[in-house]
Amino acid sequence: MTDLTPANRHFFAFDLDSTEGEQAGLNGYTIEQLSDYLDRDRMPADPGIDDSPDCEIALRGLERLRRAQRSLLAQDLERESRRDDSWVSSILNNITLEAHAGREIPLAHPSPIARLVVTEGAVRGMLRETGDRMQNVFVGRCVLVGDVSVPGAPISIRVDVTVFPGENIPRLADQLRDAMYATLSKYTELVVVAIDITVRDLHSLPDASADEQEK
Amino acid sequence: MPGKVREQVASPLDAAADHVLADRAADGDLRAFEVLVRRYGPLMRVYATRVLGSTDETDDVVQESFITAWQQLGTLDDGKAVKSWLMRIVGRKSIDRLRARRPHVNIDDTDAPAPESHAPHVLAEVESETEALARVLAALPVDQRRCWTLRELAEYSYGDIAVELNLPLSTVRGLLARARKTLLRQMEDWR
Amino acid sequence: MTADVSSFDQLDGVVRGVPGVAALYPAGSMVATVLAATLDAVAQGATAAPLVHIEQRADGIRVTARIGIGAAESSSDVSGRVHDAIAAHLEQSGSPPVVQIVVIVASVWLNV
Repeated sequence: MTDLTPANRHFFAFDLDSTEGEQAGLNGYTIEQLSDYLDRDRMPADPGIDDSPDCEIALRGLERLRRAQRSLLAQDLERESRRDDSWVSSILNNITLEAHAGREIPLAHPSPIARLVVTEGAVRGMLRETGDRMQNVFVGRCVLVGDVSVPGAPISIRVDVTVFPGENIPRLADQLRDAMYATLSKYTELVVVAIDITVRDLHSLPDASADEQEK
Repeated sequence: MPGKVREQVASPLDAAADHVLADRAADGDLRAFEVLVRRYGPLMRVYATRVLGSTDETDDVVQESFITAWQQLGTLDDGKAVKSWLMRIVGRKSIDRLRARRPHVNIDDTDAPAPESHAPHVLAEVESETEALARVLAALPVDQRRCWTLRELAEYSYGDIAVELNLPLSTVRGLLARARKTLLRQMEDWR
Repeated sequence: MTADVSSFDQLDGVVRGVPGVAALYPAGSMVATVLAATLDAVAQGATAAPLVHIEQRADGIRVTARIGIGAAESSSDVSGRVHDAIAAHLEQSGSPPVVQIVVIVASVWLNV
C-alpha cells in the first residue's frame, strides 16, 4: 500500500448515495462524523480516525473546504463593507420612535381641553443624553418605576450604567445622579424620589470590546 | 418627513459593547441602533444573499430584519446575544422569502446563481478556491444550501436548523452531509 | 373620520413656529416615521401630508401634535405654548368646536 500516500491520492472515499459505501471508504466513519470531529478540534483523539489514511485525506479535504469558506466569508464581508451608506439610511428611515415611546406622562395646563404629555421614551432619551455628556460612562437601560400617568405621584428611576476602568465608581454615580435630577426637574414635572444606579459591567477598553465583536 | 440620517461622526458609541448598544436601542436610542446596523448589517447581508442564492432581495430582507429587530428589541433579555439574535431574524426572513417563492417556481432548478459566479468555460485554472466555492455553493440544491449556510455562516446547531427550517433533525443531518460531500467532491476537481 | 380643511393645513407651520419646537413628527394613526430629526430637518420644512393630526368627531375636532423640543425650556412650557398657538389659530380661522388638543413631546434634544 505504499502508493497510497494521502498527498497525491485522489479522494474518492465517500459515496453520495449510500451510507454503507461512505463508511466502507472511511474506515467505518461518515463525513458527518469527521466534520464533527474537526468541530471538536479532534478532541478527544480517536485513533480509529487519526490512524486511517482514508480519514486523513477526508479531513484534509474538509479543512481545505473550511479555509475556503472562511476566505469566502471574509471576501463577501469586505465587499459589503465597501458599499455606500444608502442602505443604512433606508433602514433608519423606516423606523419609528413610536415603537419605544412607552407610557405618556401628563403635563399640567389650565385649559380643560388640553392634554399635554411627554413620552416615557423622551424621558429615557434625556437621561441617556445626560450620561453621554459625562466622560467614561455609558448609560444603558433606564426604567421609570411607578405610576407616571398620575401627576405628582412619586416615582423612582433605575439606571444601568457601564463605567470604564479606573473610575471612582461611587463618585461617578453621585455625579450622574445629580445631573439626572437636574435634567428631570428642568424638563419634566416628575416627582422623582430616587435614582438607583447599577454599575452593570466594568468594561475593558472600548476598542478591545468592539474588536471582540468582530470575531 | 424629517427623516434624515445624521451625518456620521465618530461617537463613543461606535466602540460600545453589544449589550450597551442593545439596551440603549431597546430604550429607543436610534444612534445606538445605527451602530448595530453598521456593525452587523454587512454580515447579515452576506448571510441573506447566501440563503437566497442571489442579491435581488437582500436589501429588502435585511431592511425588514432590522425593522423587526427595532420593534422587538425589548424582548431580547441578554443584550450580549444581539448578534446571534439578529442573525436569527435575518435567517428567518430569508427563509420566508424562499417559501414565498416556492409555489411559483421549482427553486431547485431555477435558483439564480450567486453574483460572483462565472460561466463554466472561463474558470479553469485561474479560478481561486474561493470563487470555485462560491460557484459550487450557488449550484447546490436550495435545501442543502440553506442548511449549509445556517450551519457554517450563522453557526446554528443541527437542532436549531431543524427548528428554523421545520424539518426533522435526521433530514437536516442528511442535507448537511450531502452538501458537504458535494462540496468536497467538487473541490477534488479543482485541483 | 379625518378632514383636511385649508386652515388645518396651516397647523404644521403654526406648530413649527412656536419657540422651543425643534421637530414635528407625524401624529396621525399612520405609523409615525421618525428619525434623528434635527433643526435642519425642521427648517427644510415642507412635506406632503400634514403632520398635525385632525380628527373630526360628532361634537367637534380633536387635534394632535407630536413634537420634539430643544434644550432651552421645559416640556411643559413648550407644549403649553404649542397648545395655545393651536387654539388661537383655530379660533381665528373659525373652525368647528375643539374638544381636545393633544400635544405629545416625543423627544427632547438636550444638545440642540
